[in-house]
Amino acid sequence: MHRKNFYLAFFAVHFFFVGVVSCRELFWFLSQSKTIFPPGFKSYSTRAENVGAGILLQNPGTPAVLREGVTTYVHLAGIESGYGFFAPNVPGTCKLVFELHYPDGRTESRVPEVSTNASGLRVSTLLDKIGRPQYDSLREVIVKMLASAVWRKHSDVTMIRAVFGVVMLPTADQFEHGVRESNEFLYSYDFAFQSAGPKNPNP
Amino acid sequence: MRRIEFWKQQLIGFLFHAESDDWLALLRFGLGFQVVLYCLSVGKDWTDLLAGNGGLISRNLSETILALESPLIPRVGWIVAIGSRFGLSEENILSIVWYCLFAAGCFLLLGLFSRAAAIATWFLHLAAVKSADLLSYGMDNLTTIGLFYVMLSPLPDRFSLDWIWRKSRPQDGQQLGFWRRVLQIHLCFIYFFGGIAKATGPGWWDGSNLWRVLIRPPFNLIDPHTLLPWKFVFPAVGISIIVLEIAYPVFIWPRQTRTLWLVLICAMHLGIALTMGMYLFGLVMLILNLAAFGPGVLWHQRKALADASFAGSMDRSPNN
Repeated sequence: MHRKNFYLAFFAVHFFFVGVVSCRELFWFLSQSKTIFPPGFKSYSTRAENVGAGILLQNPGTPAVLREGVTTYVHLAGIESGYGFFAPNVPGTCKLVFELHYPDGRTESRVPEVSTNASGLRVSTLLDKIGRPQYDSLREVIVKMLASAVWRKHSDVTMIRAVFGVVMLPTADQFEHGVRESNEFLYSYDFAFQSAGPKNPNP
Repeated sequence: MRRIEFWKQQLIGFLFHAESDDWLALLRFGLGFQVVLYCLSVGKDWTDLLAGNGGLISRNLSETILALESPLIPRVGWIVAIGSRFGLSEENILSIVWYCLFAAGCFLLLGLFSRAAAIATWFLHLAAVKSADLLSYGMDNLTTIGLFYVMLSPLPDRFSLDWIWRKSRPQDGQQLGFWRRVLQIHLCFIYFFGGIAKATGPGWWDGSNLWRVLIRPPFNLIDPHTLLPWKFVFPAVGISIIVLEIAYPVFIWPRQTRTLWLVLICAMHLGIALTMGMYLFGLVMLILNLAAFGPGVLWHQRKALADASFAGSMDRSPNN
């Protein structure tokens, strides 16, 4: 019976975390996205999301041991994120194009290169992630890393301009009337390279 | 007080029903297969995805962000640090990690040294996914969830080589029932919250999200011109997906509706895999669903195993 109680306790704690993480992500979606609810609902969602963060001991005032303990468990169990795949809306795809500048004045375009479709899906996921506002501080660092990866394969390049944008998708009706996907410019970064590696970027 | 005791006994009866190991065999085999395919799918880019320096993006960046959350979450950097003490280069260590994960996946698939293979697969897969966290997506999480449950379940099952060759028999019907319930309930959470999140977006009601998801790179396997004549069914399909997901926790339990719901949800994942090219995502969802609800519904389930460790009755749930 003791063993059963142990399993019952595990069950309760585990699904408590699954439920709170799922609710928290749901409220995050509601606070950040266009939904069927009126705009005034966003403030309630933000508050509810903060309550979720508090329950998961993620607030700054929580002792680090407790916060890290919960964080570690949810990562080990794979339950650290919710399940709102393609929800509530399907955003446009983020796109990164590198403009390679050679010493002789030639330019050519490249996209981040991987060998398989499965890896390509991962790169696409990365680009979608860094397109979000919460990745503002990391975006340039990651784009610089991706530019460096391209430069290693084209080491005679002196400058790489990275153009980050989003692919705007037409609706079915628009597509029927000849509208096709278009690219919307978001950011651009210039990285100068020497033979030893990248110099300071000039965004 | 008596009422609380009554509900506790009801819960215990529901969670600890004696169960056959058919579901666990399917989950073990399926996730072993999934991990092997995962290794093969990223094998050529493995070093680029996980290199500390000189890869696509630095592993150190993901691991630094991870360390800010908790220093205890497994990561490839730990293995690289250990390997470098023995004079191994990072590239060699990453290759060894890939071979170890591939081998662990094969062992899990075959059911050889099942428990050790399950733990090794979970750990190495988790470390790889967390060290490339910026490049990971939902499929990785769902695989981790499955591997976590396999690792904790009473292995080996009767289809494993451990059972056949090594005569290993640590079986426990009620524990098998408990872990199957955990998997079943987790799937209910996944679909319920997935469905609710979709329902809050206007685009799932008018079908525009379905159109967008199918023409959105890199999921645009089907030419939009081919999709266009079908645009009038998109609203109905979008609403059906919402209903299918939100109502999953209701209709997957009664025997009368379980087969229908399981077939529909599997068809949905098969459709996602084939129309969007998300083969590994589709596969892991099929594995989790078929393991959780397939035995006894889609095919005949063998008798429950004798209880070995839990005290109490050996009630077979009418709704396993």
